[in-house]
Amino acid sequence: MASRPILQVIELNKAFGGLQAVYNVSYQMESGELSAIIGPNGAGKSTFFNLITAYHAVDSGKIYFKGDDITGLPPHLISRLGIARAFQVSNIYPTLTTYENVRQAVLSQRKKTLNFFTPASRMARAETMELLDPCGLAEQANVIAGTLSQGDKKRLELAIALGNKPELLFLDEPTAGMSGEETMETMELVRRLNRERNLTILFTEHDMSVVFGFARRITVLHQGELIADGTPEEVRANEKAQSVYLGEEA
Amino acid sequence: MINLGILRSSVGWLVLALAISIVLPLVVGVFWVHVLTEILIMGLFATSFNLLFGYMGQLSFGQAAYYGVGAYTTALMITKASIPLPLCMVASVLMAGLWALIFGYFCVRLTGIYFAILTMAFGQLVFYIIFQWYSFTGGDNGIQGIPAPLLLQDAYAYYYFTLALVIAALIVMRFITNSPFGYTMRAIRDNSDRTRFIGINIRRYMLINFVIAGMFAGLAGSLWAPFNRSIAPDLANWAHSGIPVFMAVIGGPLGFFGPLVGSVVYTFLSAFVTGFTEYWPIVIGIIIIFIVLFLPGGILGTFQQKTMPVGTNYPEKKETS
Repeated sequence: MASRPILQVIELNKAFGGLQAVYNVSYQMESGELSAIIGPNGAGKSTFFNLITAYHAVDSGKIYFKGDDITGLPPHLISRLGIARAFQVSNIYPTLTTYENVRQAVLSQRKKTLNFFTPASRMARAETMELLDPCGLAEQANVIAGTLSQGDKKRLELAIALGNKPELLFLDEPTAGMSGEETMETMELVRRLNRERNLTILFTEHDMSVVFGFARRITVLHQGELIADGTPEEVRANEKAQSVYLGEEA
Repeated sequence: MINLGILRSSVGWLVLALAISIVLPLVVGVFWVHVLTEILIMGLFATSFNLLFGYMGQLSFGQAAYYGVGAYTTALMITKASIPLPLCMVASVLMAGLWALIFGYFCVRLTGIYFAILTMAFGQLVFYIIFQWYSFTGGDNGIQGIPAPLLLQDAYAYYYFTLALVIAALIVMRFITNSPFGYTMRAIRDNSDRTRFIGINIRRYMLINFVIAGMFAGLAGSLWAPFNRSIAPDLANWAHSGIPVFMAVIGGPLGFFGPLVGSVVYTFLSAFVTGFTEYWPIVIGIIIIFIVLFLPGGILGTFQQKTMPVGTNYPEKKETS
């Protein structure tokens, strides 16, 4: 591929106190990928997401988005460039309705939030419903988000992230707390988004059947270090990955 | 269709409140007309405070500073230069907004108790400047003999003038709280991290809201000066910043009209009870304890919970979009 990678991370480092959470990780994604990062608890997956989306400041290393250096930019600017994330612990607006939660992201993406005099209720209806529908939340549109079930909250988390019309989407355990059936529905949706909207997606997940069933590329982190990277078959065959991670599961 | 019913009853309540506020002064004595005017001015002050407290989720304990700046700007312009009241009001709003911009720049960097302390510290700064600057502000003597314009010297006239301005200000604030900006405030209140990650520079938005709140507090202060005919530095003191806090808690900070309801209760009781006893603070203390313990969400919040489902802006029919 001659085109620039959508994401390029070079020798990223982050320590919390004495703990090296991410150590010299270099990583690259091409546009259109649907990839997963796996690793035992504490491997640095969430920290890796947090560094790229500027939730934490990096200690050293560079992050490029479509060729532009985004290292050190504040979160709201990174979001505006077209990078969105859904959080591991659902991170929604509990006193607003489901509909209002998603509309907030849509209004922000369309740069309408400095409008002081048009009732928000008249704005962005179609776009908001277009996001609620595929996420299976149309029925819950009028429900106060804080009262949603855990699975619905995770779906709302995803819908809010999509409201930003991202090109690159990070999903931190998008199906945590969901039943088996809900998990499959959500991951099917993720796959559809990847195919139909050419959305580049990187996700973490504990459930190996989900990871190997949906990701076309898998990266393994262990104690902050990248130890394996490749297609599901390659990672399955990788001895290092087996010993530190897959082995523990078996 | 159910939504229409809710709308009807809310509008019904507003029409009723408006009718009462127009007719009531005609049937009560002049003392109570003064009380009603005070209810309106303090209701405006409390509603401006609630843009920060209820909608942005930050407790300002220095809102009296901007009220005081508004009151002193108007009082000084009238007594020193006999400038017409409308111009004084515009200047008061702008001056309060300017100070809110300067202090707010620092305050919005903090949240929670630190936000409250810093707003209070800046508020006290304003108080001490007014208190100490004898040659300009009159220091602790305050400013006496602030005349209202001829047309408004009658208590009834000033009441209706205040009513019209407060209604206009409430309409503007109502629009702001229902706008995308207003919802962005709720978003910051509910979850500021998430709001950052959908692309919003939250400090900038908080600062804008801080300035708006300061400007409306300044308008309230500006209305107060010619109404009361005299002002003192206490208007900017921290104890005076506590009053809108009480009002918002009494009425309910999560509804737009909560602080106004709080002002009705607080100001009326204050006028009524001080007729019998000088221990008015004990009465208000007991009321606050009662509301915090038994009516969390305030009078209006509790009333709305009992009578109507939570209002939303969800479109009723999908095909309208």
